[in-house]
Amino acid sequence: MKKILALTWKDLKIFLKDRGGIVLIFVQPFMFILVISYALSGAFSAAEHPIQILAVNQDAGTQAATLLDRLKEMKAFSVETSWEGHVLTLQEAERLIIERKRAFALIFPPNFSAVLEEESGTPQGLTTKVLLIVDPNATKQIAELVLGSIQGLLERASYTAKIPKGVEDFFTPLGDQTSTKNSESLGAGLDEPGSRGLREQRTPAVTLERIAPTGMHVKKLPDVYQQNVPGYTVYGIFWIVNLLAVSVLREKREGTFRRLLVAPVSRMVMLIGKWIPYYLINIVQIVIMLGVSSVLFNMSLGHSAAGLVIVSLAAAATATGLGVLVATLARTEAQISGLTVLLLLTLSVLGGCFIPRFIMPEWLRTVGLVTPHAWALDAYQDLLVRGYDFWDVLPKVGVLGVFAVIFFGIGVWRFRFE
Amino acid sequence: MSSSIIELKKVVKRFGGRVAVDCVDLSVQDGEIFGLLGPNGAGKTTIISLLATLLVPDDGEITICGHNLGQEAKRVRPLIGFVPQEMALYPTLSARDNLTFFGRVYGLYGSNLKERVTTVLELVGLSDRASDPVQTFSGGMKRRLNIAAGLVHQPRILFLDEPTVGVDPQSRNFIFEHVERLNDEGITIVYTTHYMEEVERLCDRVAIMDQGRILALDTVIGLVNRLGAGVIYLGLPRPSSEPLLPDIRAISQVLTATEEKGRLKIETSNARLALLELIGLCSARNVSILSLEMLEPTLESVFLHLTGKRLRD
Repeated sequence: MKKILALTWKDLKIFLKDRGGIVLIFVQPFMFILVISYALSGAFSAAEHPIQILAVNQDAGTQAATLLDRLKEMKAFSVETSWEGHVLTLQEAERLIIERKRAFALIFPPNFSAVLEEESGTPQGLTTKVLLIVDPNATKQIAELVLGSIQGLLERASYTAKIPKGVEDFFTPLGDQTSTKNSESLGAGLDEPGSRGLREQRTPAVTLERIAPTGMHVKKLPDVYQQNVPGYTVYGIFWIVNLLAVSVLREKREGTFRRLLVAPVSRMVMLIGKWIPYYLINIVQIVIMLGVSSVLFNMSLGHSAAGLVIVSLAAAATATGLGVLVATLARTEAQISGLTVLLLLTLSVLGGCFIPRFIMPEWLRTVGLVTPHAWALDAYQDLLVRGYDFWDVLPKVGVLGVFAVIFFGIGVWRFRFE
Repeated sequence: MSSSIIELKKVVKRFGGRVAVDCVDLSVQDGEIFGLLGPNGAGKTTIISLLATLLVPDDGEITICGHNLGQEAKRVRPLIGFVPQEMALYPTLSARDNLTFFGRVYGLYGSNLKERVTTVLELVGLSDRASDPVQTFSGGMKRRLNIAAGLVHQPRILFLDEPTVGVDPQSRNFIFEHVERLNDEGITIVYTTHYMEEVERLCDRVAIMDQGRILALDTVIGLVNRLGAGVIYLGLPRPSSEPLLPDIRAISQVLTATEEKGRLKIETSNARLALLELIGLCSARNVSILSLEMLEPTLESVFLHLTGKRLRD
């Protein structure tokens, strides 16, 4: 044990003297959080990636189907009313969101047409709610785009059901607009009586309500930091791969491993002593990133400290395990740099660290599941954004554990001290 | 010097199809400085790596301090110190941090460790630079610290693998003095080098190696005496050399005369006198001399005599 401590302490000392390494491991991810978070506040363009919306149509009439047809006509969205060959149910839509297969589900109540077609939309008349189930981790910009577009279509459906045909003709240009802002600007273009009429009837008989799937304890909508910090934290912690692999390579190149092999220290103790300091650095890195985000940006850390601890321990084990593996594959520092950048950027993108996975094509989402980044990110998002607790994230921690065991297993098997 | 502390019996080490150590028998006496002399690729580092438990022989047996390395490597490791060719140090750590770390690895702690680190730093003359990062040291200072790292746990045997490579003459002398002082303190030293003068100055006994084999093993004087008082290589035209051999052997200073690689190899009791006689003989028989080489009795000429090539070829 004392020898492990000696090995650990020695590597920590070396790490603290490596300013470049410290900057790389701590500062770079933060720069990403700050710069990209700001850059993303309004930068998403829905037209580039059609957003998939599940639709559960329980409407006894035809109004919901008409609205869905209009939604389908918009290039920004693709609407799915069935899943694997059968018509979607509310439970199934919720399940698909919980399983991260989709981020949005639109639920039309059975009385949707009846309420819309009722003559008066007065307070004493019928009212109903259309539900928009949203994955709390859905990027704010995209969620608002979906919400605004559906809101606009609902208003249009409401008026076309009650206002004479001539008014509908006026709304026709709204066809492929995507936000309430546009609807309002067109509304403002109506003549004064018509415009007043629209505004007076804004007390809607049909309201759109955004909710989280059953089982998620979301107290408030996630802010930009809650959405971005988990992604960049996961991206950042995997950079330990570079530090660990370079350190191993230097020990080999400078002959210190060779010298240690002559000492009364087993190879396993040497390997554990090499791994522990980087594991500790990883944990400190996570604590700093989440801590600073919480203190500086007032970011909520969810309500499961135990969950955060177990996910962080598992993520750090996976990241350092990958470091051991890369150390066995690369033979020069240049190889390590190239391999690390290639591997980490690819895994980060596929794992959803930069772009939410739900807007990726289906096949890419499936590929993403073979990255540890996707599971670590999902686990952090479960805790920080979706309001899940310790027990809920254990399966994902288990998957991270499997990744760690595989990386370490191959790494130890292939490891050469000289 | 007394009993043998290191024994190698018929040791073989192969790397793929290449035989790096070829059936080597060797014994090192307790308290001696033993030199392994040979050109690059002769197998010196492979032998020292086998002795330091870094490699396992493919065949044969190695015993150190009575422990068979095949079964008891763990028992041997605390008894040996290893100074590799490369600077096996952590350049960003200070000299003291490096030695402290290596001391801990060998199980030293507390005041004992502190004391050993201080002693070893003094021994290699680096006490005043103890807190400086190693990367600020000169090549010679790094070499000295490299040796210190192999000594911190007070080994009985020290393996030094070409410890003076790339070192300036002043630091080289400093290292020689340390090696001699360590030996005076009772440490057995196995020293590999391809510098003749190091072996001549330091080693009690020397094994001359080439292509994985030990060609000769003796004291420096013993090896030099093998050349007698010198060897002459004489190149003559093809038909003339053989008939001349009986007359050459008849010269009183000539010990042996044989044909080797197209030349006559003549071992003498007095090379200079023998040379005069040989020139006179060739002149009398009207035989022209195509080439002539005279080896004075030195370790270098012993090596050339044994291998047919120079040490730094």
